[in-house]
Amino acid sequence: MKISKIRGLVAALFAAVTVVAPGASIASANTEITFWSWRTEDKAFYESQMRLFEAKNPGITVKFTPYLNTEYNAIVATALTAGKGPDVLQMRPYGGMANLSDAGNFLPLSTTDVPALKKLPAGILAGAQGYKDKKQFGLPYAVSALGVMYNPDILEKAGVGALPQTWAQLQSAFDKVKKAGFLPLGNAGGNGPALEQLHATVGPTFYGGTAFFNDVVAGKKTFTDKGYVASLKAVADLAKWMPANYQGIDYNTARGLFANEKAAFYIGGNYEIGYFRSLNPSITIGWFPAPKANAGAKRYVGTWADGAYAVNAKTTQKAAALKLINFLGTKEFGQALVDEIAFIPTAPYVKINDPAVKEINRWRTTLGTPFLNVVGFRFEAPTSSSILQPGFQKLIVGGTTPEQLAKDVQTAVASWYAPQKGKS
Amino acid sequence: MIKLLASRTFFQSILVINLLLVLLPVFFLFNSSLRESNEFARTPFALARDPFWENYQRVWSEGEFGSYFLNSLIITGGSLVLILILALGAGFVLGRYTFTGNNIIFGFILTGMLVPAKLAILPLFIQLNWMNLLDSRLGLILVYTSAALPAAIFIMSGFFKSLPVDLDNAARIDGASEFKLLSKVLVPLVRPGMAIVAIYSAIPIWNDFFLPLVFLQSPEKKTLMQGLTVFFGQYASQWGVLFAGLCLAALPLIVLYLILSEQFIKGLTAGAVKG
Amino acid sequence: MSSALRRDQNRTTRALLIPALTVIIVFTTVPALTTLSYAFFSWNGFERSGLAGFDNFQRLFQYPYLEQLTAALTHNTIAFVAIMILQTSLGLLLAYAMFRVKRGLRLYRVVVFLPVIFSLVVVGYLWQSLLDPYYGPINQIITAVGFPELAKPWLGDTTTALPSLIFINLWRWVGFPAIVFLAGLNAINTEYIEAARIDGASESQVFRKIMFPLLAPSLTIITVLTFIGAYEWFDLPFVIGGSNGSPAGATDTLALMFYRTSFGSIDSGANDVGVGSALGVLIFTLVGLGAAIGSTLLRRREVEQ
Repeated sequence: MKISKIRGLVAALFAAVTVVAPGASIASANTEITFWSWRTEDKAFYESQMRLFEAKNPGITVKFTPYLNTEYNAIVATALTAGKGPDVLQMRPYGGMANLSDAGNFLPLSTTDVPALKKLPAGILAGAQGYKDKKQFGLPYAVSALGVMYNPDILEKAGVGALPQTWAQLQSAFDKVKKAGFLPLGNAGGNGPALEQLHATVGPTFYGGTAFFNDVVAGKKTFTDKGYVASLKAVADLAKWMPANYQGIDYNTARGLFANEKAAFYIGGNYEIGYFRSLNPSITIGWFPAPKANAGAKRYVGTWADGAYAVNAKTTQKAAALKLINFLGTKEFGQALVDEIAFIPTAPYVKINDPAVKEINRWRTTLGTPFLNVVGFRFEAPTSSSILQPGFQKLIVGGTTPEQLAKDVQTAVASWYAPQKGKS
Repeated sequence: MIKLLASRTFFQSILVINLLLVLLPVFFLFNSSLRESNEFARTPFALARDPFWENYQRVWSEGEFGSYFLNSLIITGGSLVLILILALGAGFVLGRYTFTGNNIIFGFILTGMLVPAKLAILPLFIQLNWMNLLDSRLGLILVYTSAALPAAIFIMSGFFKSLPVDLDNAARIDGASEFKLLSKVLVPLVRPGMAIVAIYSAIPIWNDFFLPLVFLQSPEKKTLMQGLTVFFGQYASQWGVLFAGLCLAALPLIVLYLILSEQFIKGLTAGAVKG
Repeated sequence: MSSALRRDQNRTTRALLIPALTVIIVFTTVPALTTLSYAFFSWNGFERSGLAGFDNFQRLFQYPYLEQLTAALTHNTIAFVAIMILQTSLGLLLAYAMFRVKRGLRLYRVVVFLPVIFSLVVVGYLWQSLLDPYYGPINQIITAVGFPELAKPWLGDTTTALPSLIFINLWRWVGFPAIVFLAGLNAINTEYIEAARIDGASESQVFRKIMFPLLAPSLTIITVLTFIGAYEWFDLPFVIGGSNGSPAGATDTLALMFYRTSFGSIDSGANDVGVGSALGVLIFTLVGLGAAIGSTLLRRREVEQ
């Protein structure tokens, strides 16, 4: 206690001095750069990676700071506006930080500064570009994919043989699990974004995948389309398989149910796998793409570039920041992303050993379809997400109908999205 | 007499019910902080047979609670000192002197109570930035002081007003300056008022998580409540550790409250609440 | 008084008053006025553009903000009424109980006020755990005593979420009116009470005719502070329901909407400082008028002893 108090006092004095002398850049051998993220779950992973970076780049130290996911945007926005932002930061995909990138807060990255950008396909690069200003502002680091995760042990105990390929087969698998005394589905209703991801997983097969996405983006179809309404209804239909009192079960408890092997299935993104394993290292996780709506429909894997690393346009340590970005684009870092937190890296030629992630990547490349709300409609308010997230919460308890929810989404998008203006 | 006894039991039972309603959740909090997280997940509602102090250890070391704690201490302590000094002075002048503008100034200060810092957060942000007080504990201290002063001055002026005028005259006859009158004679007499101001101001400042969220960017300056929110994201579902964090966060104010509660109650019951 | 004294007093006044006033003006008054002024400009993210007249106010009362505004305002009003009635009467009951009881008074005083010192983060998280439908003890107790149908997802159900929040708020705050009323009761001149007793008045008559009227100043303070707190309610709903008022906006408040609109949130996209500031003007006007009217009306009731 005493030592830490002295350390604390010294730190306070040091802080006081730096407050009085702002902007005094320390021209010493040690350059310090700050790196912000919204992944508090991955703090340990990033800390170890930063030590590796520092070993390879003597003279540079990295201070990694994660913030609560829900507050990240507010914190970054205020910091950047005040000129007190970090040097390197994680950037939300697509429109998530549109107003910040349009205001010139991020450093445009060229392929000379960041060679890793050359190796990425256009669709992925689009996830880290501006809205009005289409420059490349970030290096997308991971691709996320949506599917159905399952616990093979529980399925075996419940006598579920083959993996479900159709919606009807999924329902019967749920039934078997329930009869065996387990929870069919870990997903619950307490968290709007989780419900949105649930829909984005099982929905595309109902609304027509990439073809529908292209049509809506072009204004040829609207959200009141029969297929889309059916996709919303599918989420409502899943409510009966959710745990009791699902409206009150929050995100962490729901994920915990699957991780602690009480629930057989969890529908969502591959980024949950790392969290499941951290709660229960001994769990085996299987994965299959969302089943098709019926025999004639197609199967899809919702996917999108999930987050990128960007550089603060006002950084005083541009060279060091770019070094960090390049490190984050290396094959080794990509390998660590896969091995340690089960992310699907954008860095090519990464060997995926994890069987679950291997499956995911295999299906993703053939069945991929864009995550509609994130990729297409996050640029201005009200976003489709802002309607769907509370909307799903109402839907699963019967507080609204799929038709009404679809109408609400259409009204919202049509209010700002030019190709949809005036359509209903 | 029987009627009186009967209602006394009634009131005793009301207070006992309140006691249970308050202490049981607090006990749950403390009890759960001493249980290992997975064990808690299995049986949430059981007594901690083997106190698992490791939770607290983890909170302190991994959660960097040491530095958060110190920052909260600096900010709350600094604000309290500033508030007391300024409120003593202003309360004395407004409570004991008559001069034109006394009421107007007093009314103006009171309207300050209507403005929550949150509503003015954007201009405050830009203003602090312009004053180079962003990402600075001093900046936060000044904002908190300003927010707490109206109520503090209100309370202190009430106390000063209630002291007999003879004290002033006696001191002046003895040749004391106005300042000496205040510091040597009157301040010792308004100690209960100071205790009220201390507790009333310290609580929202120590407990605030919003202003630090917006105004403090550097991780080494973060306060306890601010750190708790990040802590939750990191240790989600590690119930034992989370509860230990909450207990540690609540502890300092509880200690302060227990120490000052006698003075605090004395001050309140001294009739300060007279508008 | 002598001119030397007057000079000394003037000097002291300046020396002691100016620092406090400066701090308040610089860090409260100026920012407050600036916020109100922001509502009359148009904004690009956090960059201010030209004057916009009443444009922001117009947009506040249109889609998509109008729905959120009416919902939030309703929630704040429900909260005010419920808290005003329940918290004040429970506070008064506790205060009177402490006034009458002699045994264990010190313990009760400490315990009654204890929840008031907890941070909202602690209170919010604690009650979220207690009310958790899966792990929480409250539902387990309810089921154990034989009412499994009542073991609801309190904070997740759109109909019970707001009442649950109000209950948690009560738990946290009831000690405050209790202590204020207790102080008020203790300040009553005991001669009045004794005189009434000698005249044969019953306890309830003494309370209604003598104590309650003399508690008017305490009631004024409690009412005004409750009003301000209810319409500026932010901390507890934010900790438990997030900036969107989960579930499905059932716990949305004016202050939450202000935060969300001014700063944006992950999934609702861009922020709109103009509309947010207009909302700020609305909140400030509402609270200011309410507090002023309320305290004027209530002060008339106050009786000098």
